[in-house]
Amino acid sequence: MSNAHAVALSGHLEETRTGIPNGKLGMWVFLASEVMFFTGLIGAYVVLRISNLQWPGHEGHLSVPIGTLNTLILIGSSVTIVLALAASQRGAIGRTRGWLLLTILLGALFLGIKGTEYSAKFAHHIFPHTNIFWSCYFTLTGFHALHVLGGIAFNLFVLRQTFRPNAWGLQQGRLELAGLYWHFVDIVWIFLFPLLYLL
Amino acid sequence: MNRALSQPNYLVIGIWLAGLMLLGVLLSELSGGWLPLPRWGVVTLILILSTIKATLVALYYMHLQSDRRLLAFIAIVPLLLIAVVLGLLYSTYLVRL
Repeated sequence: MSNAHAVALSGHLEETRTGIPNGKLGMWVFLASEVMFFTGLIGAYVVLRISNLQWPGHEGHLSVPIGTLNTLILIGSSVTIVLALAASQRGAIGRTRGWLLLTILLGALFLGIKGTEYSAKFAHHIFPHTNIFWSCYFTLTGFHALHVLGGIAFNLFVLRQTFRPNAWGLQQGRLELAGLYWHFVDIVWIFLFPLLYLL
Repeated sequence: MNRALSQPNYLVIGIWLAGLMLLGVLLSELSGGWLPLPRWGVVTLILILSTIKATLVALYYMHLQSDRRLLAFIAIVPLLLIAVVLGLLYSTYLVRL
């Protein structure tokens, strides 16, 4: 069989030269491109900040406790989705659904809190064009929020698949892909939170 | 089945992630007052903590520790490219000096 391995993806035995299911390999390549995307944005923020001697900062308009709470929520959602995957591997479909639903709810809570933060800024007449800090803040957190939204949509799709017993048997691999994406979104926030709120 | 048996304790890792995050917040809040560290020292410490957290997520939640090496390679390539770009960026600062 040389380098070819038989791997189980979505219930099918699939031959791949790498021994990695194609979907999973594709997701990792996609995530590598996403790393470059966010590095471009974060890199621009860091360069602007270093080269601007009078960096405006958030001037007390960002609440560290709220940012901390939101970070805890996102970390919690990473725990719940990995527990959903573990439950799926054990064949515990009920627990898989439960952990996945909790992940979706935590993601929605994260977005809700972020939306509240945004509306508070707008109420104080703080907009992306206010100064360079807020331009960076809204760009970075806005793109991250869009990724969270995409992750929620992906998780909802996978959750719906769990209610189709025949289809679920063939598509369990998608939960792992959704998990990989969700963890990536968590990692991005792990860097954004200190850069925007703490430093 | 073996993979399921050898799964790490995800809850414990989650607690570590939360603890490291709270430590970063504490360092930030104490800097400039109680903490006898220069600003750049605090920044470095907090970014190191973020890197440790990201590594924990990648190794245990994204299963890079137990998965095929090719996936770790794919994950590392963009980081190497970032290192090259940062090197070029800082070299331009040095040339200007």
